[in-house]
Amino acid sequence: MTDIRTIAVGFDGSPDSEVALVWALDLAAPLGARVVAVHARGLLSRLEGWSSSVLESTVTRLAREHGVSVGDVSVCVEEGDACSVLVRCSRPPVDADLLVVGSRGDGKHPGLLLGSTSLELAQRAEVALVIVPSAHDVVSP
Amino acid sequence: MLIVNELTENAAHEDPGHPERPERVGAVAAGISSLHLGGDVVSVAPHRATRAELARVHDGIYLDELGAYCYAGGGNLDEDTYATYDSWAIAQFAAGAGLAVVDELTRRGDGVGFVAVRPPGHHALADRAMGFCLLNNVAVSAAALADRGERVLIVDWDVHHGNGTQSMFWNDPRVLYVSTHQWPLFPGTGVAQEVGGLDAVDRTINIPVPPGATGDTLARALDEVAAPVIDEFDPTWVLVSAGYDAHRADPMGDLLLTSGDFAMLARRVREVVPAPGRLALFLEGGYNLEALRTSVAATLGALLDAPFDAAAPSAGGAGGDVAARVREQRRVALDQARAAREREEDE
Repeated sequence: MTDIRTIAVGFDGSPDSEVALVWALDLAAPLGARVVAVHARGLLSRLEGWSSSVLESTVTRLAREHGVSVGDVSVCVEEGDACSVLVRCSRPPVDADLLVVGSRGDGKHPGLLLGSTSLELAQRAEVALVIVPSAHDVVSP
Repeated sequence: MLIVNELTENAAHEDPGHPERPERVGAVAAGISSLHLGGDVVSVAPHRATRAELARVHDGIYLDELGAYCYAGGGNLDEDTYATYDSWAIAQFAAGAGLAVVDELTRRGDGVGFVAVRPPGHHALADRAMGFCLLNNVAVSAAALADRGERVLIVDWDVHHGNGTQSMFWNDPRVLYVSTHQWPLFPGTGVAQEVGGLDAVDRTINIPVPPGATGDTLARALDEVAAPVIDEFDPTWVLVSAGYDAHRADPMGDLLLTSGDFAMLARRVREVVPAPGRLALFLEGGYNLEALRTSVAATLGALLDAPFDAAAPSAGGAGGDVAARVREQRRVALDQARAAREREEDE
């Protein structure tokens, strides 16, 4: 079985991406893996006064809440669309062995047939992919 | 003579506050008007690109989904890209405008074409909208020309790498794609080591330049890296993805080009056009309206030998070593690609 040393998590600050990050942190702890929270910067982000500091503080807080050494978690900001950036994370320098994403993203784009990052990743990912359902996705029987 | 599509702002494709906005076409029109070309401007009515014309570069399923999505009312396709009810038809006409301009140039055997359409196209992938782009306008025209037996050079001077165009012709030896762009920057592709697929080794040339680069850096890299490959390719047609967001006043990038630099780039492109009526430029980015107006005027003024006002070309910025670095990175990548191709042929 493939050793999982690095887990890349798609992280846009949305509640679903927090759920995915927590899931990855829980998995990483017993494996001794490092977690990289990956944020894709789109074209418009440079017009929106975007800063990575909010993401970094959120990631640090979640890591501390789950008893993970902050040194084992990092934030990686890359230019591009979310799917392509995450696909590239399985190559150097991130070299992720596993990709983890939430099922819905930041909710700014509905996805529908055309744009769901998680669905597209299922087709394009070069390493194993975990799609973590949000609370909204869990339907009682 | 300037061959241009009928200019329309396409106000029905708009998302309030979005930088890819209808007024961009008005800025292009003002730039053309400032050249006082009079009767030397021919306006061409576009047709709506057919499914067969689009399917040369786009997946049929994507075309079906995009049309259905728009007719359902549209919305945000990703964090950057929007569509409205009318966007599908507008995008089809944008792609068709390129085909119409190319056909008119072919019929006349003379002139320079300018396809001033929106939405832009060079980020659009075969199966996905991206980066403000729905359909890849320049690729639709390049593929049509290639299917007629032409060897097509695409020069892309937008500040962003044209990942969609590159991917569509990645393994197609009939098309040579040359891009200058800021790196790192969206979409994160376009490193020098991307040199083409195994069937099209050396048919992709990427010249990534750092923030703060000036026109002299782009000129030197085009001369030293791209020109020898273009000479060997010997294009029969030249298309330009003419983005103007590398201008120093544009909010989408950090390069320091001036309007005069676009005149310089246009003159370099003109040197490799094989015959009259074999050059068409396609509007891509450019979001500062005044920079767009003056840069389009400088581009077309330089190509048509018409008087124009432009700022002095820029020089002395970052990335003075780009040409040498790209040449070396490409040399290594080309060696690896050719070795891989030989292994594949042996098998």
